[in-house]
Amino acid sequence: MPQTAESTAQDQTITAVREALGDVLQRELPDLGPDAKLFDDYGLDSTGVLDLLMRLEEVFDVEFDTEELEMSHFATVRTLADYVAAAR
Amino acid sequence: MESLLPGFNARLKAAVAGSERVPFVFLGNFEVEEQWAVGEPGLPRMGFTGGGAVVNSMDEFAMLLAGEGDHVVLKARPDAGYLAYLRGLGLALPTVHVVAESDPARTVSQDALADPALQSALAAAGADLMLYAHGVSTVEEELAGRTGLPLAHPTAAVCKAVNSKIYSRRVADELGIPQARGWACDTVVELTRAVEEARGLLAEGRKLVLKDAYGVSGKGIMVIESERRLDRVHRMVLARAEAAGSDRAGLVLEEWVTKQTDLNYQVTVGRDGAVRFDFVKEAITENGTHKGHRMPARLTPDQLDAVTDAGLRLGARLAADGYFGVAGMDALLLPDGTVFPVIEINARNNMSTYQVRLQEAFVGEGRIALARHYPLKLSAPLPFEELRRTLDGLLLEHPDGAGLLVNNYATVNAAVSTLAEPGATADGRLYGLVVGDTAEQVTAIDTEITARLAAVTEGAVHVG
Repeated sequence: MPQTAESTAQDQTITAVREALGDVLQRELPDLGPDAKLFDDYGLDSTGVLDLLMRLEEVFDVEFDTEELEMSHFATVRTLADYVAAAR
Repeated sequence: MESLLPGFNARLKAAVAGSERVPFVFLGNFEVEEQWAVGEPGLPRMGFTGGGAVVNSMDEFAMLLAGEGDHVVLKARPDAGYLAYLRGLGLALPTVHVVAESDPARTVSQDALADPALQSALAAAGADLMLYAHGVSTVEEELAGRTGLPLAHPTAAVCKAVNSKIYSRRVADELGIPQARGWACDTVVELTRAVEEARGLLAEGRKLVLKDAYGVSGKGIMVIESERRLDRVHRMVLARAEAAGSDRAGLVLEEWVTKQTDLNYQVTVGRDGAVRFDFVKEAITENGTHKGHRMPARLTPDQLDAVTDAGLRLGARLAADGYFGVAGMDALLLPDGTVFPVIEINARNNMSTYQVRLQEAFVGEGRIALARHYPLKLSAPLPFEELRRTLDGLLLEHPDGAGLLVNNYATVNAAVSTLAEPGATADGRLYGLVVGDTAEQVTAIDTEITARLAAVTEGAVHVG
């Protein structure tokens, strides 16, 4: 599939989410695919989510509306990247 | 060295019910903090509630706090092989009541509240029964009302009030108990002042930690290393308060303290205000990961004095505020040997509470135990008998022996039992005490158990 500007931006967002998650969980995540379940498979909890959000805010220089956030946004790397992309 | 008096079950009853012969109905409603946190501001929780299947199945711990003549309400019938194993060790077990419908997302108390037949059975089980819960929220009060059984605890309002991290900070200050520099912030005005005062610590290269007054133990904590992060979380809290039309913050801001060891100790506060120091345990970490608790803790006499003195004084203060029952304190040992005797007060049972009866029976003078949980990844339920074969020679089989004493088996299969997709795996936990005569022996057994369980997990992952 040809690389479009849109898919490149999405890849970058996914990469940033993956890096931030590694920082939050304080471990390397070499096998973390876009559809891996962050809660069930990686042990993300509510405190980790808050930490993750703030790291992403700093990377992308945005502020999310935390009142609008739902657990489903954090289901996988992909859902989180989609949320971040929509908020930018 | 602290010593455990025999018969914790009887001693607990004498303290909270006035007589060691009162039969109790035990409820292991772990993460009662979730209930206490309802309606509290604190850190944004973003819809996260409930501990999930494994946490809720920690209810089975209550079975080993209960004694002969007691009752316990459980979410699931215990594994028959596990019960036989416990009886084989000479442990007298309580009458078990199982809820009709066990929802993995509910605590045992919530399941019991949805089970009128169980409530009738408890009401009819004995005239002098009392309810003894892991911790008391309005859910347990409602269950007491429905069954007509009195709670062997103070009110939910009292338990909740003294469990707040704001309460413990203020009480420690009042009693002159040393603690990290910090600010208790009931309101956003207090938080704003704290943020300004704490800013200087960040400028000096120190770290801060922001804690939810009602966070579940070990959660609801945010480390802050930059002014940018401090300002952001401050704005977030202000925005939420404004949206809620409230001036409450429910947070504690503290300087981050580099610790050497986490300590955990317990006091029991009697209805009459008498306080007994029960024990202190030491957290064991390996490469930064929590591995378990060592008992007895390796403390100098001065350190033990600091912890004991703080425990007794905190217990007396809790009694003055209307609390009685078990209270567990988290404490820190700093690299220079100083003790910060209270990081938080847990106005409920603690994991350690459920180990006391086992310590009395199996960890005699001069012996050592390491309280552990081993993570498991399973694709199918693992019956106890199968585990017993896997760990052949490593389980504790008699009171003077060495090996793993399993003290909860429900957590092994709680999540895997509800798996829908074939080939999927679920996390489970095997809890137990590794008991032995020397530290080396305990370490060797622990290492061998970890290796054999890894083989089981490997197998499970590749099956299906």
